[in-house]
Amino acid sequence: MPQADQLHPFTVLALATAVLTITTAAGYWPLSLAVIVGCLVLATRHRCLGKLCALSALIIAPTFGSQLMVHALFTPGPSPVLAQLGPFELTGAGLWLATQLALRTAVLVVVGLLCALVIDRHRLIAAIDLSKAPPQLGYLVAATLSLLPQLSAKQHAIGQAQALRLGHVGRGPVGWFQRIRLRSVPLVLGSLQDAADRAPHLAARGFPAAGTHTRLREVPDSTIQRVLRRVALICAVAGPALILTLDRFSG
Amino acid sequence: MSGARQPVLEARIESFRFDGSRHPILHGSHLQLEPGTLNVIVGASGSGKSTLGAVLAGMLPRPGLDLLHGQLRLDGQQIDHRDGQGPRIDLAVWARHVALLPQEVGQYLSGIRETVAEELAFGLENIGVARAQMRTRVRSVARQFGIEPLLERAPERLSGGQQRLVALAALSIGEPQVLVLDEPLAGLDALAAERVRQVILELRTQGRAVVVLSRLPDALTGQADASFRLQDGTLWPVTVWPASVPPAITEWPAIEDPATLLAFDHVSAGYPQQSAAVLEDFSLRLVAGECLGLAGANGSGKSTVLKTAAGLLPPRGGTVESCEDIGLLLQNPADQLFERTVRREVSFGLPRGSLHRQRVERVLDELGLSELAETHPYELPVSARRLLALATVLVREPRVLLLDEPTEALDEHGLERLHRVIERRLAAGGAVLFSSHDESFMRRTAHRVVRLAAAPGRSVTRQQFGDL
Amino acid sequence: MSSNLTIDDARAGGTLPRRLMAVAGTLLLVGTYITLVITQPTALAEGLGQGVALATFVAYLAAAILLLAAVLPEVPVATLTLIPVALALNVILGQFVGSVMVPLYLDSIGTVLIGFLAGRRAGAATGVLGTLIWSLFAPTVLPFAAGAALVGFLAGTAARFGALRRIYLAPVAGLLSGVIVGVISAPVAAFVYGGTSGVGTGALVATFRAMGESLFSAVTKQALISDPGDKAVVFLIAALLVYALPGRLTSSFDFVRRYRVLGRRSGN
Repeated sequence: MPQADQLHPFTVLALATAVLTITTAAGYWPLSLAVIVGCLVLATRHRCLGKLCALSALIIAPTFGSQLMVHALFTPGPSPVLAQLGPFELTGAGLWLATQLALRTAVLVVVGLLCALVIDRHRLIAAIDLSKAPPQLGYLVAATLSLLPQLSAKQHAIGQAQALRLGHVGRGPVGWFQRIRLRSVPLVLGSLQDAADRAPHLAARGFPAAGTHTRLREVPDSTIQRVLRRVALICAVAGPALILTLDRFSG
Repeated sequence: MSGARQPVLEARIESFRFDGSRHPILHGSHLQLEPGTLNVIVGASGSGKSTLGAVLAGMLPRPGLDLLHGQLRLDGQQIDHRDGQGPRIDLAVWARHVALLPQEVGQYLSGIRETVAEELAFGLENIGVARAQMRTRVRSVARQFGIEPLLERAPERLSGGQQRLVALAALSIGEPQVLVLDEPLAGLDALAAERVRQVILELRTQGRAVVVLSRLPDALTGQADASFRLQDGTLWPVTVWPASVPPAITEWPAIEDPATLLAFDHVSAGYPQQSAAVLEDFSLRLVAGECLGLAGANGSGKSTVLKTAAGLLPPRGGTVESCEDIGLLLQNPADQLFERTVRREVSFGLPRGSLHRQRVERVLDELGLSELAETHPYELPVSARRLLALATVLVREPRVLLLDEPTEALDEHGLERLHRVIERRLAAGGAVLFSSHDESFMRRTAHRVVRLAAAPGRSVTRQQFGDL
Repeated sequence: MSSNLTIDDARAGGTLPRRLMAVAGTLLLVGTYITLVITQPTALAEGLGQGVALATFVAYLAAAILLLAAVLPEVPVATLTLIPVALALNVILGQFVGSVMVPLYLDSIGTVLIGFLAGRRAGAATGVLGTLIWSLFAPTVLPFAAGAALVGFLAGTAARFGALRRIYLAPVAGLLSGVIVGVISAPVAAFVYGGTSGVGTGALVATFRAMGESLFSAVTKQALISDPGDKAVVFLIAALLVYALPGRLTSSFDFVRRYRVLGRRSGN
């Protein structure tokens, strides 16, 4: 089996979409769990297990907390009450519902993040550029991803410069406002000015391309992958439709 | 080629005025560029030379905003601008004839390509050149500029000089007839500057018309086929540059038994995310009344010394002793400007009171910024913007003044003012430590110069940013 | 090589398909919302409501992508280079400001900034793109793309009708925009995730449910508390930032000049 990082980025995304729609439509917890475990196994093979777990936990934990509060406490119906505190009662059915909802969110988070971790950024951008999408899209994705670390570095530099410049700003709301102003205004000013300065040079280099455009970078693709993508997309649409229809007739 | 050389670009600028400004920044200038020539234009900061470059490159006037009277003739087509009424220039097509390299190379490089090879191909990609042909052209231009070893490197991790070579290569891959280069040698150490100079001369040999915009006569001035001085918005032809008079070496009054204001004792220092130290076993002593220069190639640790001295970087080993009263001017002045006017910027954070207000006015006057006091910092010419950053440090009257590349982007007046500022600081019993590439300024201003050499075997670890 | 050095102002057409896409996107968004309000799917009580979740997710995302496809080709290069900056600012300012002041999201400062400077189309495009790119780091934000588009669109609309000429009008416009955005985004939280993305907002929803509200109306009420406040602060911060920019930069935006977005500056 080829490693995911040798696949065309669109193949990875198409497969992920199919897995996501089918799992969500099925709403069957063993399946969701299996998908998550599968993702973790793949992550191990790509040596990004730790990162995947950490990033996922960061998103899933607060969402689960919210779901727990919203459902576990108020699901009506005959269900054993596990704990009670005033008007709030924790029911077994509610807990189960919250867990299933969390599982559904977790599948989305884990599959999505795994894609983001295994797909090479520059290959994805090249693939977007070579596709029929407008040429602006590739630039915007690429520029944003490269700006994020640059602006954090700049933010750090501004913090240093300002720290040197003044001993103290006031406390309370005024001090808070002053601190935000000191650090955000130079950042916004500098980066907007920089963007305005870059624009004519990009235009001079022919961006965005008016006619056909090409890329020096090749994104390896194959007939098998093209077929695979097509099948995955059909599954992504037909799978949930089939599952939901069956559900309706059986239920 | 025909015997009589036809100008490839001719510009007749009666006047050019920025939107919202009352006075024209350029007027009564005529420029004619012939193939295979090097044309040098020297002008102080704010004289309009970057504006002139942008007009030649078709980037100004911005339609509906700036007012240009005049004609441009390129490739047999004449473009007439009257009262701001003129045809809109198709920049993508214009740039295939006239290409501009801005002073900040970072503005030119797309910043979105992983490798130098892809950066070079960016312009070709946008006009749909086939991949095989792109490869050939990238390789040939890389060979010509001697940057073949860089092709697979990341553009943003190159040194300043390498970046400029890459940008020049990207600029000439589209084979424009005219290249306009804004300060191509500024901010480069001697070795890198020489490489860039060679490449520019090579471009002339290939029959390109090269325009070099510069704030001071430099290593390229002597080789020019045509030279101009841009003064108050008008171009004047220059036949002979006045022989540069070596500036008088300042005689410094000796101070008896001066106090030590800053001492480095066997210090090693480095950046938190990097394991390798930038500075190792470094010792230095700065006494009251002394001005010390830091020299060395890009990346040799000059900024690290200054940041450690100011307490921004804790030393990893050894000790740093310094007096409390230290002011540091960082290398990039834009990082700290945030107010709406120059005066507010300088006054920021000072307690209200007439004493401090006087001090603000004195500093503005000392740096020649009084007339610009109500201007937005971002609308100042580069040289004035750097002086403004210096003003924000000076207004606090620190005893020890640390300056990171204060000479960069300063014109003659700016350098003169900087020199006087340093003198005054020393006369008041303070001390100054500054880093610079400007050897003549250093020779004139510093008592001693500390040269930093790159430590053997030191490597900069590649920083890892988010995987996607 | 074509060597026509100038551009004729009469541009070739091709706007009709884009208009249609914009209309289709808007209809899809509004249609989905109305359908959800009318049918009030209570499936969540009996099961997970997979069908509704999937449909809401897909419809909201598709609407956002249609809107993006409609506006992107019309955005000029000067604005295009600004969009990545805005997206990065969304993240970085959001983190920085948020770290000082907890209860708001403040993740749309950049989007609102673009809406103010470059108009509602650019604002909408920024909103959608920002969400698409951010989804690489947090996949759950994907269906909120439509809400983000709305934020940018409303910021542009507010600027166009003079909400920036007086600085105190900006938070008012933000408040109103927050109401609309909150209402439109509520179904995503309710039907796709069955809860909100944070514990604080979740507690609010739980409280409303304790009062006997349905899930959907509880989430809507929570959004009506959080969103307007958030957007009022964001609009105010963005307006102050716009006034801090140099005049030469702001006046280079066609949108700012044409609709006289900014009032007279003090200090100049």
